[in-house]
Amino acid sequence: MPQVKIPPPYQGSTLGQARVEVEGTTVRECIQAVGDRYPGFFDLVIDPNGDVHRFVQLFINGDEVDRAAVDTSVAEGDEVEVLAAVAGG
Amino acid sequence: MSGPTGDKLIRVDMSNLSVAIDDFPEEWKLLGGRALSAKILLGECDPTCDPLGPDNVLVMAPGVCSGTAAPTSGRLSIGGKSPLTGGIKEANVGGNPGQDLMKLGYRAVLLKGKPADPEKRYAIDITADGASVVEANDTKGMWNYALIDHLAKSYSDTASFISIGPAGEMQLTGASVACTDQEKARHPARHAARGGLGAVMGSKGVKYVCVDAGKARSRQPANRKEFMALGKKFTKDYLDGPQMFKTGTSSVVPVANMLSTFPYKNRTEGSSPDAETLDGARIVESFETYGGGMHNCLTGCIVQCSNVVHDKDGNYRTSALEFETLTMLGANCAISSWEDVADLDRLCDEVGLDTIEAGAAIAIYMDSGGMEFGDAEGAKRLLREIAEGTELGNAIGNGAVSTGKYAKHHRVPAVRGQAIPAWDPRPLKATGITYATSPQGADHTAGLVVNPGLGEEELARASQESQLVNAATDSSGFCQFIQPTLEDVRMFYGHLYGEEVTREQVADMGWECLTDEWEFNRRAGLSDDPDQMPDCMKQDAVGPANAVFDVKSEIVAQAYTRFETRDELFAQKAAG
Repeated sequence: MPQVKIPPPYQGSTLGQARVEVEGTTVRECIQAVGDRYPGFFDLVIDPNGDVHRFVQLFINGDEVDRAAVDTSVAEGDEVEVLAAVAGG
Repeated sequence: MSGPTGDKLIRVDMSNLSVAIDDFPEEWKLLGGRALSAKILLGECDPTCDPLGPDNVLVMAPGVCSGTAAPTSGRLSIGGKSPLTGGIKEANVGGNPGQDLMKLGYRAVLLKGKPADPEKRYAIDITADGASVVEANDTKGMWNYALIDHLAKSYSDTASFISIGPAGEMQLTGASVACTDQEKARHPARHAARGGLGAVMGSKGVKYVCVDAGKARSRQPANRKEFMALGKKFTKDYLDGPQMFKTGTSSVVPVANMLSTFPYKNRTEGSSPDAETLDGARIVESFETYGGGMHNCLTGCIVQCSNVVHDKDGNYRTSALEFETLTMLGANCAISSWEDVADLDRLCDEVGLDTIEAGAAIAIYMDSGGMEFGDAEGAKRLLREIAEGTELGNAIGNGAVSTGKYAKHHRVPAVRGQAIPAWDPRPLKATGITYATSPQGADHTAGLVVNPGLGEEELARASQESQLVNAATDSSGFCQFIQPTLEDVRMFYGHLYGEEVTREQVADMGWECLTDEWEFNRRAGLSDDPDQMPDCMKQDAVGPANAVFDVKSEIVAQAYTRFETRDELFAQKAAG
């Protein structure tokens, strides 16, 4: 199963989980699957228009995913990393 | 070659207007910035002194790598006993004076004493030839931007300035110390803001410090080739990474709002309905129509997180409009327009005020019924009143606690006398532990942990590790926003001085900085009591999780005792 890596600022929504294994064949499905298990997570990644929030970056196995390509396929064992730009004053 | 040698300390006694230039102790060569300031204060400043009296020592200490070619490394620490917290304080600042001091080999400037005539104003002129105290009565009462315009006429183009506005001269405890940025116009837009150190500078009668490095070269490392290669790799790694700050810290607004750490109406709520109009994206959009853009505040910075904000007519308005300012002077006061906050930010820079403390104070005044929430013009009037010296202006200029007393209002979100910054201790409990235990009081730059998912057993360690890494970073000269690790700092130090520096050594230096500061506070009479959080943070919930600061005192207290060092510490990035 693909694994979704949760950024520290979003681990409140996943009850402290830093990685979540999910069923999913695209990046969006994986994010949705985490959101189904942990309500609140999906909205932190995807905006009401269905686009990736501009302060979020997504990676598959370390390679950045274009924010317009959130329906990119993922394979068994892939790591989908969510990075949230949250720090600083 | 052994790296930079022949460094000096400048000691200024304002009681007799004398200057002494001393050799910088060789054994302190790896001490800079915050750690150096703490060491000096512990040794030379009576912790029980009146912060605004002659016995306080105001320290200006660049970080160890300031003045070198290392990227984003020119930060300056301003230190002293805080008139706001009654404890030790370090406020870290960008701009060019830090680098200029180090290019001249000055590791610190110490201001002691107090002039006999409190009505007189002085300046400290620093060049390669030494330092001198000069009269500066013609600058009395000047706002920061007018002051720099005035000084630009008589000083060299290569000079940078450290100054105070009227708030510092009036010794108001919310006063900041301004540093000029690297722009040709030398805007006094970078502020060592927290803890009221501008009031300490004002108490010494010093209106400004001019540092003219002339044609001084950057500091030459012992292992020049390796140092430059390390800098190149560090730069490449940063530029190849996510560059979280490329549109400025103001871009954090929407996500902070979702995480319930964008406080609204004197922190009675954790999120604001105005996040859309206060979002930094609106500022970036304004570049197209108004002009302005992103820039580096200090020479050699590759992060370029600082925005330059213009008005509708395309004229310079302020820099930098940060997340903390948009929160504390915007959402927390229910002021919904980023443009109004830009005006408030400019006023704070002009008068010489901490935007966090000022925003908290105005919100408290609004919450007390003294003014309507959302009254942007009223808020601007209040900031002008500070410079005019009205009773209300003095209360606001002295910060959150002072304003609470003035308005007889009980809801004062402050820890150890200092206003809580935007990052909220209710959803971010490890950050709350930082506010309760840091020698710096409620200061997010002392150890920010943005992880609301940590278990109770992880909180104290997370806070302590962040406090340690940030202390080491603020001693190195690197900006927290380039996010160096202890390993990065170790490598740069090693090549700078041509000797092996272990990662444990750097970690120990970070911890020693904290223990020096805690010791100063103990001698000053401050308690180690971990129960420092105000009731409003413990009782008034925010966000969908109804978060309050409910960490047990025995957990909070764990941050005072060093945890066993683990490998992850050396890879942890600074965050502030």
